[in-house]
Amino acid sequence: MEDLHIPASNETPEVRFEFSRHRLSMHGESYPENAMSFYGPIRSSLQNYLEKLPADGKVEVDIGLRYFNSSSTKLIRALIAMLDQTAEGGPSISVDWLHDADDDMMLEFGSDLKDEHRSLKFNTVVAEPA
Amino acid sequence: MKLELFNTFRDTAQENGVIFYYTGAFSQNVVAAIGDSLKQRLDSVNTSSAARRKVFSTFVEMAQNILHYAPEIAENDGAGAPAKYGALAVGRNGDEKFFVVCGNPVRMEDVSRLHEKLEPLRQMSIDEIKTAYREQLRNEDHANDAASKGAGLGFLTMARDATEPIEYSIAFASEADGGRADLYLRATI
Repeated sequence: MEDLHIPASNETPEVRFEFSRHRLSMHGESYPENAMSFYGPIRSSLQNYLEKLPADGKVEVDIGLRYFNSSSTKLIRALIAMLDQTAEGGPSISVDWLHDADDDMMLEFGSDLKDEHRSLKFNTVVAEPA
Repeated sequence: MKLELFNTFRDTAQENGVIFYYTGAFSQNVVAAIGDSLKQRLDSVNTSSAARRKVFSTFVEMAQNILHYAPEIAENDGAGAPAKYGALAVGRNGDEKFFVVCGNPVRMEDVSRLHEKLEPLRQMSIDEIKTAYREQLRNEDHANDAASKGAGLGFLTMARDATEPIEYSIAFASEADGGRADLYLRATI
């Protein structure tokens, strides 16, 4: 299936889902007014990809969000939940959750995601300064 | 506005530590433009990047609240298309804490819901706020709550970023169009 690339905007992160290489990444800030209209299509495209993933598949994901607003929060968490559900069925999915060294809140959010999604190889990683 | 009044206006803003002030119609473009400008202003302020992020986050939550919940109203002269109006200021008390304040009309029918959401937050410790935030994050029912577009996390996000309880007041404003009140919020970071 075709790769998904959405360039960053002021209020939305860069999304680079290279399905052909099994590498998915999302970087930037996320505070669109209508988070559902941004994340809806991303979710469907991810769903399509995950459904076809063989049980011995291997996916690398990295997510580096410097900031997201409240309405993006649940939608970002939902993407992680989709990955986790898929990983339960066999595929090996690793997620690097990048956060700035001094951003305790983003680290805490990542640690909570890690605790709740046990089928993923989930790592919180300090991001290189921009 | 007379020049000496403008001076008073500017002096008052400065004495109260105002870094940024906007009043008028809110749209996504306006919020994006203010956000950019606010980021630049904050970059020149001597503070931790954690505080900067929290001030910006609080600004976004308040501004998007106005976009989501303020009723569209026509300006006094009735000219121009109806829009969502509000006022918002960001500032700092000396070299200490930041504040973000906003004021905007809300529908009369939303007033009791706002009280119910805001009042309990004022009594909660930061740990209780974090627990409530986590619970709300896992609350799937909320997807069906049409009244809340922020996934029910907006006020909790503000409370989580604040160092003091969120202050608020709701004042009756008008009988027009089913009734309106003005909501004021103040977050200290």
